[in-house]
Amino acid sequence: METYLAITAIWGVYLTAVVFFVGMGVRVYQWATTPRSPVPLGMFPKPETKGARVAKMLKDTFLAPHSARIEPAMWIFAMAFHVAALGAFVGHGRLLAEFPVLPELLGEEGMNAFAAWSGSIAGSLMLVGVIYWIARRTFGPYKNLSVPEDYLLLALLLGVVVMGDHMRFIYGGTIHADTYREWFLSLLRLRPQIPEKILASNVGWSLGTHMLFTDLFLMYFPFSKLVHAIGAFSTNLTRSE
Amino acid sequence: MDAHTIETIAGVIDKKMTRQLKQYLDVCARCAICKDACHQYVGTGDFKYLPARRAELIRHVYKKYFDSAGRFVPALYEARDPDDNLLDELYESCYACTGCRRCMYYCPFSIDTQWIVAVGKAILIAAGRGQEMLGQLADAAIFKGENVEMFRDVLVSGFKDIEAEVREITGDPEATIPVDKHGADILYVALAGAHSIRPAAVIFHEAKVDWTISLFEAANYGYFFGDAEKAKLIAKRFMEEAKRLGVKEVVVPECGHAYRVADIFYEAWTQEELPFKVSHILEVVDRFIKEGRITVEKGRIQGRVTYHDPCQIARNGGIFEQPRDVVKALTDDFVDLVPNRAEQWCCGGGGGIVAIEEMRDVRLKSGSKKVEQLRASGASVLACPCENCRLQIEDLNQLHGLGLQVRQVIDLVVEAMPLPGNTAPRA
Amino acid sequence: MPGAAREEGIAMSEEIKVDLELDLKGLLCPLPMVKVSQNIGNVPVGGVIRAVATDPGSMADIPAWAKSTGNEVLSAEKQGNEFVFLVKRVK
Repeated sequence: METYLAITAIWGVYLTAVVFFVGMGVRVYQWATTPRSPVPLGMFPKPETKGARVAKMLKDTFLAPHSARIEPAMWIFAMAFHVAALGAFVGHGRLLAEFPVLPELLGEEGMNAFAAWSGSIAGSLMLVGVIYWIARRTFGPYKNLSVPEDYLLLALLLGVVVMGDHMRFIYGGTIHADTYREWFLSLLRLRPQIPEKILASNVGWSLGTHMLFTDLFLMYFPFSKLVHAIGAFSTNLTRSE
Repeated sequence: MDAHTIETIAGVIDKKMTRQLKQYLDVCARCAICKDACHQYVGTGDFKYLPARRAELIRHVYKKYFDSAGRFVPALYEARDPDDNLLDELYESCYACTGCRRCMYYCPFSIDTQWIVAVGKAILIAAGRGQEMLGQLADAAIFKGENVEMFRDVLVSGFKDIEAEVREITGDPEATIPVDKHGADILYVALAGAHSIRPAAVIFHEAKVDWTISLFEAANYGYFFGDAEKAKLIAKRFMEEAKRLGVKEVVVPECGHAYRVADIFYEAWTQEELPFKVSHILEVVDRFIKEGRITVEKGRIQGRVTYHDPCQIARNGGIFEQPRDVVKALTDDFVDLVPNRAEQWCCGGGGGIVAIEEMRDVRLKSGSKKVEQLRASGASVLACPCENCRLQIEDLNQLHGLGLQVRQVIDLVVEAMPLPGNTAPRA
Repeated sequence: MPGAAREEGIAMSEEIKVDLELDLKGLLCPLPMVKVSQNIGNVPVGGVIRAVATDPGSMADIPAWAKSTGNEVLSAEKQGNEFVFLVKRVK
């Protein structure tokens, strides 16, 4: 288990960080250095001022109101997934430091219970979202639109979410954030080590596998359609030019 | 497919590569939300008309030649060399696309499929597979532009015939269709057909406008064909004419793409600033009615009237209200189609497809949503300021027995004007 | 050009064998030209289409189409409210 964790939860994380940030940097550089066409591709109705354009772009990007109108089911699942993913991301912030205010309000027990509830909800919603997307791709009448990239990403995402949920649901009661924080901060201090508590429990296999999928997912991210995470701001701004 | 053709095709993508295109090709998640937005996919259920699929064909080649991940693991993206199958499908999907951009409206990333389809058309042209009819129409327009003296007499004599009709309608024997009038306020660039000139001439005459008519038509088959240079040349004919005559305003007729080309694209294409403004005829007519320069009476148009937003004028051109205001000035019984304005369904007749005989079937099938909308409206008169829309909707009208009168808006305006010779509607 | 066509037109149409008659009455431009183009393949090389249109725009459209596609308009004349064309397929 120690070797497995050394690969996925230590060296894999470092490699992933490099590939992800360099990859995204290169992608943005490519976009920035490709000349824009002077032809305005905006559509109407169109905001008049620059501020209103940016506001509309943010609304279109974060809320996709037009997509909601035409396919509410897809919108609900996609929104639930993205919001849950954001929630999970914020929750993972506990790897860096305990949240301010909340623990004082809830106490240690309360905080762990809160994390268990919110983590469980987010993890479940993400799982539902991923399964919905896999089903939609596999059984929709337009399934021929999909390419292997789509399934690869969903498979990786499924791995990330299932193993994350596994840690949350099976080991949530015994291993808490402070243990994982010890591991994560050691990575940041460049003196990586896996806490004894993890090595002593089978949670190590879960963490290792969660990290395996996370590493692969994030390493592939900059080379996939997931660059919409940053590209959508630009394309949605083009909508009102 | 031989190496030279493949190189040519990759070269076209390279030449057409812009930041917008690159981002569109990179970010599409193939979520297929666009499936319910496209009248053609909804009407036919045919996979090749799914907007994201039209773009996907270009993406396959893009991934192979312009993306390191695609070169490294082509199988992941189905990255491939273009072949005859790809070009066959590209032809069907690009030349059938009406460029309505309804898919862009609903796309969570606002991907402009028309912008990608334009690359597809450029590829087809470079591979010698451009749509023949549209190419011929474009070439004929350019030929007219280059040999204007050859056609001047014929055109002027045609204007004289229309002028006689205008005199009859207005009851004014002095009414004219001015040609080549320097310093006029308005240059009206009509369509080749008399129907786009006659009612406009009546309205200009009644509004006492200092106007002149263009020797060229506003329609731009170079744009539909997908050849940017030809499109520019065709629009340039009347833009240069307007500069030469020193007019203050160029007015385009009831034609969708002509308005978008003239008002939105031309300056970007040529990187020059035009010394006059460009308006759609209904913006001008709306102005005339609101300023009281022409008189229209309600009650002369019989039956419930509805209005179809042509995609290139409304969603893509920004004119939503003026045509409605014009129509509402003619009747108390106006009803909007649902949905309308930016969400209006494309009728299926845009992009030059009405001139492509081999695509007649898909064109008529793709009108299914429009037929539903028209039926639901309960209207007996359809006002529509775009020639291609009218041709398509008239076909749908016949095919489905809708019993509609499909009318040019300025025809309705003239019909509602209290004029001596204004008894029967004219074809 | 129209003058010349008009003078010869009647004489020519009497002796020229017409392979295909097209009734384009009521069609708005550019549809008359589209129909001629779509049908030119239906006559043999050297064959002639006689087309009758009512839109005056066709008087410029059809000759311009013929010039740019390398076909030949043998005559284009106005007869009352109609415009009559004899178009020869050259290639």
